[in-house]
Amino acid sequence: MLVNRGFAADARSAASGKGMPGLRILPEDVPSECTEMSKIEAGVSKAVDDIAALLTRPLSREEKSPKPNVQALPRIIFKGTFQEVNRFFYKRGWSDGLPVVPPTEEAVKEMLTGTDLPAEHVVGKLIPRLGKATVEKIAINAVMAGALPTYMPVLTAAIETLLDPRANFGGFGVSTGSWSPFWIINGPIRKDLRVESGSGALSPGNIANAAIGRAMGLIIKNIGGVRRGIEDMGVLGNPCKYSMVIAENEEESPWEPLHVEQGLHKEDSAVTVFFPNSYVQAEPLGTDAKGIMEGLIHNFSPGRGGLTTILLPPQHANVLAGEGWTKKEIAANISDYARAPARLNHFYRLITLGSGWPGQHQVPLDPNEQMRIILDPDWIRIVVAGGPGNLNGRAIGAPSRLGRTFVTKTVTLPANWDKLVKKYQDLVSSYLHY
Amino acid sequence: MNSQYEVLNPWADADPVPLRGISPRPADLAGKTIGLFAGYKMASKPILAEVEKGLKERFSTLKFSLFLSNEHIDVTELTNKAEFEKWLKGVDAVVCAVGD
Repeated sequence: MLVNRGFAADARSAASGKGMPGLRILPEDVPSECTEMSKIEAGVSKAVDDIAALLTRPLSREEKSPKPNVQALPRIIFKGTFQEVNRFFYKRGWSDGLPVVPPTEEAVKEMLTGTDLPAEHVVGKLIPRLGKATVEKIAINAVMAGALPTYMPVLTAAIETLLDPRANFGGFGVSTGSWSPFWIINGPIRKDLRVESGSGALSPGNIANAAIGRAMGLIIKNIGGVRRGIEDMGVLGNPCKYSMVIAENEEESPWEPLHVEQGLHKEDSAVTVFFPNSYVQAEPLGTDAKGIMEGLIHNFSPGRGGLTTILLPPQHANVLAGEGWTKKEIAANISDYARAPARLNHFYRLITLGSGWPGQHQVPLDPNEQMRIILDPDWIRIVVAGGPGNLNGRAIGAPSRLGRTFVTKTVTLPANWDKLVKKYQDLVSSYLHY
Repeated sequence: MNSQYEVLNPWADADPVPLRGISPRPADLAGKTIGLFAGYKMASKPILAEVEKGLKERFSTLKFSLFLSNEHIDVTELTNKAEFEKWLKGVDAVVCAVGD
């Protein structure tokens, strides 16, 4: 297998994870995703003799019969002070760089009160490592993230979204594109957990928004085995991987909420995920419906058209709804009118310059013809969130292919939910006035 | 800060993956057919075209057969897996290019 030199460790990890650690991987010097024939020729010509040798060299004993390299670790892994625990976890690569809450037996036991599932129950096996997401491992990572026991049902549902192939976690979670999970929470649980949907909902400061996303980041790392620069080959990475969690402001929205659009009932609690790598905010071109729509349409750049969540503050949502706009009409209008010359569209280049990208979408023959930036209005979801003010936002992911889309799962609550909520719900910041 | 914490292991257990050795290599390349497996990324096809050109210059009797994956590099996830397996039977060895 030929891979750019920078991806050799990633390729070896992937081959081992798929049960073929002996796969012959040849690092080469062709720039990643290269479009210049001269550099492809130069990189490959240096590698041809090695390719010929790897095609004929007899197999070593290890290549013929690889031996398993599984290290079983004890359940109780360390004892030390707060600082020692944190340094131990950091050195093992088990933290996100910030201090973690020590996952003691007692703390994990309290976390497990947030679920009716037994500790040894396996919610699923998370790729790429196929680590077993037992309820106890979820709880341990949740403790580390500073989560409350009431977040356990959301974390379990969030893991279920990752297990759904339509979310393409296996691709987005490790891609050079630095795609980051964006968790959108709907239904009554938003209120029970006090997930922020108003002013600065995506800023630090709210425990639910911070700890749910952080816990999922640790779960992806410690259960899925996705480590930065080894399996996760994000070129620049993404600060949203610390946490990107929002609730929809259903009370101030004039439309049906996201989870209902996704096929659930309004009274259900739900978590939705998709994987954007960019988050952009912009002012509209006016405060009326025309100005808001023009702002939404013209703030798309030609190379950035994929699965997209438009975040509309209540002010913009209500102006648009007041003039008759539905969520679907907004999405259709953006897809129709946000256009750029085809030659500037990455998707056009993928299709026309030799990629095997499935061609279910029509692209222009003339590279100068105006082409839709977002090829399909179904790639767009509208979520009402944010506080007062005249800005809206968009989280932009990759083009949908092979059925990849937004994935929503119902949050299942434990029997003692009301009691649990009562126990933890009074954790609210009270700011000093100055 | 000097309290002692006995902490649980956050790293998940994983069932051992069944391991497979790689296929035996041909002793030499004379008259052999080399499969060229291209991932969906743009650079994979031209890289393999160059591989074909370079190998052909060194081994004039080599033949080549291209398989283009529109989807994954992981063949177990291919929707056209049957087509892939049929292709695989017709080649003596495979060179794969991801395009990264």
